[in-house]
Amino acid sequence: MENVVAMDYFTVAIVLYLIGATTLAWPKATELAAHYAGTFCAAVASGLVAYSALAYMTCPACDAGTIVNVKWGAYSLLTDYWSAAFLLLTGTAGMIVSIYAVDYAKGYLGNRLRALTGLWNIFILSMVIVLVAGDAFTFIVAWEVMALASFLLVNHESSKKETVAAAYQYMIMTHIGTAAIMIAFYLIGSHADSMSFSDMMHNTLDDNMRSIAFLCAFAGFALKSGIMPMHIWLPNAHPAAPSHVSALMSGVMLKVAIYGLGRVVFNLLGIDFMWQGILVMVAGLISAFLGVLYASMENDMKRSLAYSSVENMGIIFAAFGCGMVLYSNGNGILSTIGFAAALMHCFAHSFMKCLLFMSAGSVMHATGSKNMELMGGLIRKMPYTAAFTLVGAMSLCALPFTSGLISEWMVLQGYITLAQYAGTPEMRLLVIFAFIMLGLTGATALGCFVRMYSVVFLGRARNEIAEKAHEQHFFMLLGMGMDAVLILLIGIMPDMLVNTVQEVFGGAMMMPMALPLGLLWSGSGDYSLYCPLILLAIFAIIVIFTGLLCYKNFEVKDVTWNCGTYPTARQQYSATGISKPLRRAFDYILQPVKETVKIHKKRAYHGQRFNVRLSIPDLFHEKIYQPLQDLIVTTSIKFRAIQDGSVRLYIGYTMTAMIIVLIWGVLLS
Amino acid sequence: MSNEIIAGVLEIIMNNALPGVAQACIMLMCAPLIAGIINKTKAQLNKRQGASVFQEYFDLIKWWKKPTMLTPYTSWIFIMAPIIYFATSFMAAMMVPGFLTNTVTFGDAFVFVYILALGRFFMCLSSMDAATSFGGMGGAREIYVSVLVEPAVMLAVLINASRYHTTTLSHMVMNYDAAYFSVSAVLACLAFFMVILAENCRLPVDNPDTHLELTMIHEGMTLEYSGRLLTLIHLGSFLKIVVFLTLFGALYLPFNIPLVLKIFLGAVVIGIVEIINNKMRLFKVRVYLAAAVVMLLVAIIAQ
Repeated sequence: MENVVAMDYFTVAIVLYLIGATTLAWPKATELAAHYAGTFCAAVASGLVAYSALAYMTCPACDAGTIVNVKWGAYSLLTDYWSAAFLLLTGTAGMIVSIYAVDYAKGYLGNRLRALTGLWNIFILSMVIVLVAGDAFTFIVAWEVMALASFLLVNHESSKKETVAAAYQYMIMTHIGTAAIMIAFYLIGSHADSMSFSDMMHNTLDDNMRSIAFLCAFAGFALKSGIMPMHIWLPNAHPAAPSHVSALMSGVMLKVAIYGLGRVVFNLLGIDFMWQGILVMVAGLISAFLGVLYASMENDMKRSLAYSSVENMGIIFAAFGCGMVLYSNGNGILSTIGFAAALMHCFAHSFMKCLLFMSAGSVMHATGSKNMELMGGLIRKMPYTAAFTLVGAMSLCALPFTSGLISEWMVLQGYITLAQYAGTPEMRLLVIFAFIMLGLTGATALGCFVRMYSVVFLGRARNEIAEKAHEQHFFMLLGMGMDAVLILLIGIMPDMLVNTVQEVFGGAMMMPMALPLGLLWSGSGDYSLYCPLILLAIFAIIVIFTGLLCYKNFEVKDVTWNCGTYPTARQQYSATGISKPLRRAFDYILQPVKETVKIHKKRAYHGQRFNVRLSIPDLFHEKIYQPLQDLIVTTSIKFRAIQDGSVRLYIGYTMTAMIIVLIWGVLLS
Repeated sequence: MSNEIIAGVLEIIMNNALPGVAQACIMLMCAPLIAGIINKTKAQLNKRQGASVFQEYFDLIKWWKKPTMLTPYTSWIFIMAPIIYFATSFMAAMMVPGFLTNTVTFGDAFVFVYILALGRFFMCLSSMDAATSFGGMGGAREIYVSVLVEPAVMLAVLINASRYHTTTLSHMVMNYDAAYFSVSAVLACLAFFMVILAENCRLPVDNPDTHLELTMIHEGMTLEYSGRLLTLIHLGSFLKIVVFLTLFGALYLPFNIPLVLKIFLGAVVIGIVEIINNKMRLFKVRVYLAAAVVMLLVAIIAQ
């Protein structure tokens, strides 16, 4: 019974997405109606996708391909638990962000709003199709549609020069990634009966080719998920896109790359070599730390969030790599902790990053800027947005009672397990390295989001734009509120989602992780427990009790501690100031560039003014991509000499080529 | 099904929560005394009479009676932060295996670390909330120190987790062999002591006695507070020292003596260390904490 329901709902969802996509062609007079209709379609369809995935995963009798099972020649759409988990993620995030977009995207009224709404539907649909693709060809086509749709969405505000630059950079980078994935699929498919995933599973590749195919797939999917050093498109594309688009790109599209990596690793290539796992793990750990370090230096809210995405994708890769290493060591059952942690962090990060991008959008909507240095005191102007953002920020810092700690705890347990079962000294050093990196990442993330939240929402307004801010419309708050509730719900009662996630990796009978009251992991010998619900109950009692004791005798007279000076908003620490100690501690990595310009004044000894500019260029951009770009440009300039636009010259070239070919033909015959 | 769950919840509460709360309350009662012992040690070594060891109790009572002044720019975060900070210290005291809680199973090492991070998160937020420069200064430096101390904390967890195959603190303590005296144990002991000093804002990382802007980290964050909220912050900080000393005694100090004596010993040693050290320059702290990380690294490899 449930099978039929899941399948029908999925079909209805696809039709709804297609209807939503038609808003591209609606007449201009109906722009607002098109927007409402299109966003409604996207929200309902995403909800149906999530529901059908959930129905499929919680139904023990359902067999593979129950959500969708279409075969059309060599092309097929199929689902298994791995894709169903990501369908659940895509559907949930898509629904919530679409609800947010109802009010948010109205800001683009008169600015090609129909295109935005139509492409929005196409973008979500393409991600859904990537997840259910049953063969390499369908996968690549849907992957390309996804890339193009997101490119057009990033480029929506194309009147801004930096938006266009970011969009084209994204376009180029993502196509390099697609090329790598195509090579991987071609290598595997050429040694299999057909390009369908079920046939590619039984490929006859030898070990060397298998390694090359893995490297190509890893490069392609790591690029799409923003793993360093292939991340440079990400901190440019996310701030350039409209906020709801960045939310979906960061919250879902990056996870689709994890889906692809899992598909290749689990189904097509298998995990044979330990170095593959170590590669994934080390790449993840390094981008986790460097990502969050750059995130805590940025003053642009959305750029900071984009770097934080690099960090979280790094953690996901680190967990995934941990699972791969455990698996290749022969600990198949124990490796579930790594993979389950990766998948849980996909969910957790999807919710919290969607939430934070949405709140960044709300702040931009209210103030017209995304520069943190101009904000301040928004908690009084936008109390609901501030409360929801606090939940998201807490989750990104992996604090207790949020979904962030659930996945972080699982990741850490995975590494403890790795320390147990990977006994060689080299592996032990690797685990130590992992713990140092995870520790640095966790603490820097805390610093990063303390800084972002306190500069934007707390204190006093640093600029008049922050003073004029106002609370946002209903649907924007509804979207953010839904995400905040989800974060807390999963953070307090993780067993629902963890049980579902476990189904993906062979079910709860293998290694139970979820209890009715929390998480349990017994893979490392003895057992470890995390029971957020009980902790929260005790915590709440203490907070309420002490709160009642303290809530009296409050007096508000004037600024309490100001050394006798007149209080101004400029006395507050700025965002740059808060990150200064960290910048100095890690200056070897960050290499900040400071330019000081003296402004000339008449009296040289009195009140000299300076203009100080501080910038932190991305190290990989400076050291790898910029030289590469320079090389390409200089070589191209050299080749320009042979191409001066004159038709006679080109005819001459053609003549010469023909003559050479003729001579060659004569000589050879 | 639901009856089973309710029975399970009740059992967990009876076995875990009640002893935990009782222990946390005892530790809370003793916490100002431990702080008093540290201060008395310092005074005696300075050849001063010093205040009574019970002075902190009198201070806390004095602050509790005073009204709480608020800056007009503050939000609800400013009022909630000390309450949450106190609650996290209290939770940590419940989780740490010590006098009554050797069978407590919800005291997970990572949860312990992140519970304390919750308190730090709100204290850092509140430091920026009053819109003055002192608070921001304290908050920014607190973030800096916590980033550097976190790898050492993680390695300190790892060294025990990989020895006892669990991250449950009480299981570690049950299997702890105090007579196990090795290179690894001594290095871990020294390194964890350095972590305690950094985590609890003691010399040489932070100076708990002054409000000077050159030295302060934790005191800078609490500068805007008064009255009952200030009392809570100080109680929380004292409790945190006791929690860390308990953990230190129960897991890292390789001597076979009663835990209470170990805590007392730890407090005296903190006093001595504070006397013979100066406040370190802020950017030298990274060298200090790197030393702790290296010691733990060697300890894990030597294990």
